[in-house]
Amino acid sequence: MAPMIEVRDLKKYFKSPRGTVHAVDDVTLHIDKGTTMGIVGESGCGKSTLGRTIIQMIQPTEGKIFFDGKDVTGLKGRELREFHSRAQFIFQDPYSSLNPRYTVEQTISEPLINSGRYSRRDIDKKTTELMDMVGVAQRLRLSYPHEMDGGRRQRVVIARALALDPEFVVCDEPVSALDVSIQAQVLNLLQDLQKDKNLTYMFITHDMSVVRHISNDISVMYLGQLVETSPSKELFRKHYHPYTKALLSAIPSTDIHHKMNRILLKGEITSPINPKPGCRFAARCDYATEKCHEPQKLEEVAPNHFVSCCRVHEINPELN
Amino acid sequence: MSEKFLSVKDLNDHYITSEADVWAVNGVSFDLERGKTLGLVGETGAGKTTIARSILKILPNPPAKVLGGSVEFEGKSIYEVSEAEMQKIRGDKITMIFQDPMTALNPVMTVGEQIAEVVALHNGGNKEDAKNRAVEMLETVGIPAERYVEYPHQFSGGMKQRVVIAIALACNPDLLLADEPTTALDVTIQAQVLDLMRELNRKNDTSMILITHDLGVVAEMCDDVAIVYAGQIIEKGSLEQIFDHPSHPYTNGLFGALPSMKDDEDDDRLHPIAGMPPDPTNLPTGCYFHPRCPYATEECKNGPVPVKELAPGHTCMCHKAGEV
Repeated sequence: MAPMIEVRDLKKYFKSPRGTVHAVDDVTLHIDKGTTMGIVGESGCGKSTLGRTIIQMIQPTEGKIFFDGKDVTGLKGRELREFHSRAQFIFQDPYSSLNPRYTVEQTISEPLINSGRYSRRDIDKKTTELMDMVGVAQRLRLSYPHEMDGGRRQRVVIARALALDPEFVVCDEPVSALDVSIQAQVLNLLQDLQKDKNLTYMFITHDMSVVRHISNDISVMYLGQLVETSPSKELFRKHYHPYTKALLSAIPSTDIHHKMNRILLKGEITSPINPKPGCRFAARCDYATEKCHEPQKLEEVAPNHFVSCCRVHEINPELN
Repeated sequence: MSEKFLSVKDLNDHYITSEADVWAVNGVSFDLERGKTLGLVGETGAGKTTIARSILKILPNPPAKVLGGSVEFEGKSIYEVSEAEMQKIRGDKITMIFQDPMTALNPVMTVGEQIAEVVALHNGGNKEDAKNRAVEMLETVGIPAERYVEYPHQFSGGMKQRVVIAIALACNPDLLLADEPTTALDVTIQAQVLDLMRELNRKNDTSMILITHDLGVVAEMCDDVAIVYAGQIIEKGSLEQIFDHPSHPYTNGLFGALPSMKDDEDDDRLHPIAGMPPDPTNLPTGCYFHPRCPYATEECKNGPVPVKELAPGHTCMCHKAGEV
């Protein structure tokens, strides 16, 4: 399968008065057509910045982004608009990503009108179809965001994102603001749409059970760096990076009869401003040695399972 | 150890405004033993926080009104004590951890002063003792004493929540009301904070009511569980009873809607609960869950719903309890 998205050595730095923030640092990954790549990590690890850079809402500092085999880094003007009709973004918070003064109809039809591809009548028809597709009743056509609950609002956001039939959608925490019963409805909807339209998703979340459920592959990020990438189910069985181990062990489990052995991390996430070279996790890692402060490489330790840790073989004797 | 520690009976709270009458809590009863942790589980707007606030008598009135019920704490009826006495209970005997550590702290006071303030209020105003206790509490929750003089904005979210916990536990309360204490935190930090709370509760034999929507957190922390829906406790029992034998259709729905973490389960699709939670200004007749319930029959649509005891301590508010 050809990759829909390929990212090579992507870097995004922000200048701040206190130094340079290394939000995304040397990330390389690819997402196959019709599959979902989950990006997990804690607040501030750069997962949203990665999504935004790939979709070119912000320009990368360094590195290349390939979309459907074509280099799309640094597109401008008409080409960028063309790219954005094929690659879309669903934001985390359905409360603030909708214009409070737009009705459902105005919100969903706006991208259709702006694209200039449709006549007035087609726009009406397409809006109706989109509302049906995401399961928002036609009677809500003239409703405003404040008149709807979070689940419906998120459905409207999804309808707007899919209005121009994109092939690739970055979903940034699309269900984090929703209750579990509503969350399940929205996740099912996203999966159905993926099947119907052969969509490719990049799914950003901090919720491990959600990401396990929806993703084909998962990438774990820590402070701007990719520490481990693996097929989704496999990652939960076998994980080799010390941070992944700690992260997965910290998930509260609903299984009351089998307690996981918890690895409690020391301290807090360190600052992404002017970080030291090498592995960002080294400051909190039990296994850290001198060589962890040299640049790390992603190593394929099992088929399609990549780990960025120079001591991976010492820590995981089963790999040898 | 089965003394009546906290007993809530038939609590009814409404929020009354000129536009609507919000039925937030509708006849909630439960008991809590000393040293135990009870989990109140439910979705947004189920009335969990209102229950906790009415135990502390800190519901804003107006618009909130306690229409009926009683709260007995260590043999004393909370609704009969004077406000002056209540102030002594608050912060000393019963304390609360609020959901959002970012807004629970005073931004223009150092964290040390905020802890010491509570202690001074309850120990008769000895500033020196209060300060020493505050330093001790900071260290207990894993914050170096030299950060006493720092302000909340200099702390991360997890650290702020530790400060909030330090304030809540500074006077060795008997009862801790924790309202979504880790919801705003990342999982690895959540693990640290839950660990800390568990350890401190065990050490001081503190009882806790833990409000959360996260069933994983409940599994880790609680002895007993009460499931709240539309201001009612629809099922209640020990952790094992609820997690091994969930009986109410809503409880089952909650478990079914969670993505599975197990390998052997075919988890291609999630099973959401149909429909939406009811509007608390216009609750359905009969069982509040019946419009969303796959097992609802005629008898569910009208009249009172019986509370059935399925096993000692395991109760379920459903006509079909034990059948479905």
